Amino acid sequence: MLFEQLSGNLIQGLVLGMVYGMATMGLSLIFGVLQVVNVGHGAFIMVGAFTALTMFQAMGVPPVLAIPMAFIIGMSLGMLFYYGAVKPLVSPSGIGIRKLSARGKGVIAGSVVGVILLMWLTSGFFKVNIAIYLFLGIVFLYAIALYIYGGRRQDKAAELATLLVTFSVGVILEEVVKQLFTSEARGYNWDIGKIDLGITVLPYTKLLAAMGSLAIAVILYLWFNKTRAGMAMRSVVEDDVGARVCGVNVDWQYALSFSLGIGLTVTSGVLLTMFIPVGINPYMGGPYTLKAFVIAVLGGLASPYGAFFGGVVFGLLENGSYTLFANIPGLEPFAMTRFFSFVMLLVILLIRPTGLLKAK
Amino acid sequence: MLKVQKLESGYGPMQVLWGPDIEVKPGTITSLLGPNGAGKSTLLWTILGSVKARSGTVHFEGQDVTALPPHKKVDLGIAMVPEGKHLFKEMTVYDNLIMGAYRKEAQEVRDENLEIVYSMFPILKERHAQKAGSLSGGQQQMVTISRALMTRPKLIMMDEPSQGLAPKLVHEIFETIEKMKEEVGLTILLVEQNAAASLDAADYVYVMHEGSIKAEGTPDVIKGSDEIKEAYLGM
Repeated sequence: MLFEQLSGNLIQGLVLGMVYGMATMGLSLIFGVLQVVNVGHGAFIMVGAFTALTMFQAMGVPPVLAIPMAFIIGMSLGMLFYYGAVKPLVSPSGIGIRKLSARGKGVIAGSVVGVILLMWLTSGFFKVNIAIYLFLGIVFLYAIALYIYGGRRQDKAAELATLLVTFSVGVILEEVVKQLFTSEARGYNWDIGKIDLGITVLPYTKLLAAMGSLAIAVILYLWFNKTRAGMAMRSVVEDDVGARVCGVNVDWQYALSFSLGIGLTVTSGVLLTMFIPVGINPYMGGPYTLKAFVIAVLGGLASPYGAFFGGVVFGLLENGSYTLFANIPGLEPFAMTRFFSFVMLLVILLIRPTGLLKAK
Repeated sequence: MLKVQKLESGYGPMQVLWGPDIEVKPGTITSLLGPNGAGKSTLLWTILGSVKARSGTVHFEGQDVTALPPHKKVDLGIAMVPEGKHLFKEMTVYDNLIMGAYRKEAQEVRDENLEIVYSMFPILKERHAQKAGSLSGGQQQMVTISRALMTRPKLIMMDEPSQGLAPKLVHEIFETIEKMKEEVGLTILLVEQNAAASLDAADYVYVMHEGSIKAEGTPDVIKGSDEIKEAYLGM
């Protein structure tokens, strides 16, 4: 009985995990190329969710066909975001920002997750707004302190400023969408049948979301490894100085990869609503940001395929542990699952700060 | 071929170059000597356009190229072997070389150039499928030089190509540099800590200190001046 329940849930976990993985690739790509942690990640997933919802409800477009539209919206938002807010911080004199060590990356990711976790935990006690200002205040003061006392560590101040900026952009997006759609949770119903596997039932929409995620991951892999444009972006990830002397326009690659990262993230919002077509609201991104950070660390932070792999692992662990916790009397399985994923994150940061896969 | 006049540049509030003038004649090896922190690397990066010039000019084949970004300079035929190699370590040797031929103009002659590079360094042909990061230090330096050659350059700027290599390999690298001049007909601007080897290979020498040129001349002139050797070269 438990075994059947577990294997059924693991199949659901595998399918959801692929979508999770896809939803993290953009975050990892941006971090890999620019060493910028996009704290506003979830807000872009939310934009994708609203794209799918609007196109389905207002125009009758099936969500799977909303993918190209979401990608275009995401790429455009990404370009605006990069040139408007990120570029001034990351390329001071035309020489790329310095690369961090893998451990340094782990520390940054860990501290970001910590701060968000703090916000999330305190949001029950305070109003959410207070937590946001608290966060902004702390980061801002820290950045100023580093700027004044840091001397040679002013690049650290710039790094913190990118956290502040990406966070703010996320908040602004949420507020804009709230003005357009109100903060009410919405959902859509796209029923195209389901398949009964005996141990579990999979709607075709979920299956389609997983296949779509896998297809996008494969396309990205081929693009990175087999095409001239993809190789150029990969060369910037590996060594921006080397890329420069090969004649790669590194500044443009920064813009392009940032925008591609946002494009992938908005697209993943569409795929996520195919999996969970309810609860679409301007503030839905928060938990996804959190999960994406855990997944990105699992996958080695800087590698988009690592992220995909990490997503699958996360999906399996999340659903598997949920089943186990649900069978232990007296436990609240949802809370335990969340707790479990953070324990997992801490353990990974402690023993393998470079992630489960070797970072590429 | 390359003419630098009164070039000034730096990083943020720190000015590094204080108006050096240098000229590199076609088909020669021009060597840039001087102590650590003299601004030699910054001069190369400013010529390439990766560090922005604040004033002064860079002319390449008679054309003012001061404000051109690095990828446009690569198109014109200026290549760079950066200090510390900066290879794509996770890529194969072959992919590293292919990246050298990234620009359109270089792509058209990619296969010919690949043959030239492979005949110069047969070991790279043997190891073409291996990850660049798995090669020895000397072989990695060969990949860096080859990658620069793949951009089909007219002028190749080399920043400390012998750094961190065993004496025997240093000798090999300098042989390669002379071969590139004699057989491939390249013009070379060479920055080196290894003053002795550099003086032997060069046709003309500039001595740089604190961001400007303190002395220049043929290697014999520099070798003949104890004053210069003592003050700037620690010889």
